[in-house]
Amino acid sequence: MKIAVCYKYVPEEEEIRVLDDRTLDFSKAQWKIGQYDLNAVEAGMQLAEAAGGEVVVLTAGDAAVDNSKLKKSILSRGPSMMYGIKDAGMSGADSSATAKVLKAGIEKIGDIQLVLCGEGSGDIYAQQTGVMLGAALGWPCVNAVSSLTLQEGRLIAERSLEHSVEVLEVTLPAVISVTSDINIPRIPPMRDILGAGKKPSACWTLDEAGAAVENGTRTHSILAPEQTDRRRIIFEDDGEQSIHALCEHLRKII
Amino acid sequence: MIKLPHVLVIAERPDAIAELTAGAAGLAEKVTLVYSGAREAAVNAAAAYYAGTLESHSFLSYLPSIAALVRELRPQLVLTEATKNGRAAAAAAAAAAGTSVQTDAVSLSLEDGRVSTQRMVYGGAAFQTQSGLGETAVVCAAAGLFEAGEKQPAAQIFELEPHSAGVRLLERRTKEEKSVNLNAAKIVIGAGRGFGCAENLALARELAAVIGAEVGCSRPVAEEEKWMPKEAYIGVSGVMIKPELYIACGISGQVQHMTGVSQARTIVAVNKDSGAPIFEKCDYGIVGDLNTVLKALIQAFKK
Repeated sequence: MKIAVCYKYVPEEEEIRVLDDRTLDFSKAQWKIGQYDLNAVEAGMQLAEAAGGEVVVLTAGDAAVDNSKLKKSILSRGPSMMYGIKDAGMSGADSSATAKVLKAGIEKIGDIQLVLCGEGSGDIYAQQTGVMLGAALGWPCVNAVSSLTLQEGRLIAERSLEHSVEVLEVTLPAVISVTSDINIPRIPPMRDILGAGKKPSACWTLDEAGAAVENGTRTHSILAPEQTDRRRIIFEDDGEQSIHALCEHLRKII
Repeated sequence: MIKLPHVLVIAERPDAIAELTAGAAGLAEKVTLVYSGAREAAVNAAAAYYAGTLESHSFLSYLPSIAALVRELRPQLVLTEATKNGRAAAAAAAAAAGTSVQTDAVSLSLEDGRVSTQRMVYGGAAFQTQSGLGETAVVCAAAGLFEAGEKQPAAQIFELEPHSAGVRLLERRTKEEKSVNLNAAKIVIGAGRGFGCAENLALARELAAVIGAEVGCSRPVAEEEKWMPKEAYIGVSGVMIKPELYIACGISGQVQHMTGVSQARTIVAVNKDSGAPIFEKCDYGIVGDLNTVLKALIQAFKK
């Protein structure tokens, strides 16, 4: 079975700076593979190792698509080949636009029976790209999958909802979004990190992939929240007087 | 404000059905509902489409019918719950309408017929304001976006047809019911590592019982110490709350936790470490021993 895992590279959260006008500055932020996508790669590797098959990875983005550090980072986790679709318009692409571009990539790679996605991206976390990709391909799609196995050629998925767990048989080809508790992603050993540099990759333009970026929404702004001014009335000890005074304040609310 | 002609609400929990249909009624002339669960839960809708109790099907099997309904009704807005099924339904509706989903909306506004929403991005570092470009906007509403109002039974109920959609339900296992309902609570007590051990949380629960609060916790208490269930943890990647009063006990005040409580009207902190960052971000703070302070508060409010 040939499995494609989709991933997104996202900025390191701690390195995003908030400027005085509340806009965000990403210029000092390093890129990394979205943390939830690592669960999808691991799930793909475990399926392929158990049932036989090949895992490839696919991303769509702007300039950093073929960044060699990111490429090594994703390939060191086991996949045999990396595919990328690169276009400046992909920065800020919404989930519908991204899903359509990924669809073109999946079709161009060819012969894919299973697509795995993380539950949401590490930056925006809209949890939509996987399900929208299923809809774009016209394949069955299942989100919130917390366990995935192949049993006698049948794909069995446990879908973890708020109040129940569904055990589902899913017809292939299909798109599955996995939860962050489906597995603990492996930490690649040095041998695999070194080997990752030698693995093949392909980077396509939108034209080559036969895709276009068509957003269904427009982002007006991304701004840090205004800080609420808190009163900061602090009692420096837990003596009777302090507690009494605190209670007086609380009584006005409770 | 000029109302939209038609909103389609997709929801499964009775509370969410009541909240989203009430919200939709404020935005639109006509409300249509797609729902599952108890048949009589359909309220505040001119027409309701019923997906049954989901005993023998996954909700996913109803997505083709939902997509067809969106194409047929062409509503200006589709509103769904921010549950796993709600997200899947939102994607199906958006694909049918040729748009993207505005997920986890914490606010929604209507201007010149355009639906704009706000959501949190980058782990709480920022809010994204976005709007739909097409004829239909699809919004996945964060818990608490709308309040339930009066409940009128739906005028008409139609059956929604399941399709295979490539998934077959082999078994449905019920999860243990969680008693935590932090979203709706007016007062929340947050328990941090400062309690020292799971047994000491009894004090937080006792105070909660006395003042009518729910108890939540910090991420380490749920994920590392496992003193409380995962569902109880407050923070960006956990539950976001907006109570009248939040009492943080033994919580240092990490950014990701404080973002989760930033919408609380009043924040009170109890911590033995006077240097804890939470004292910079609270309305009232008391530097002291948790046991001493909580016992004194329990006594004071019992009276």
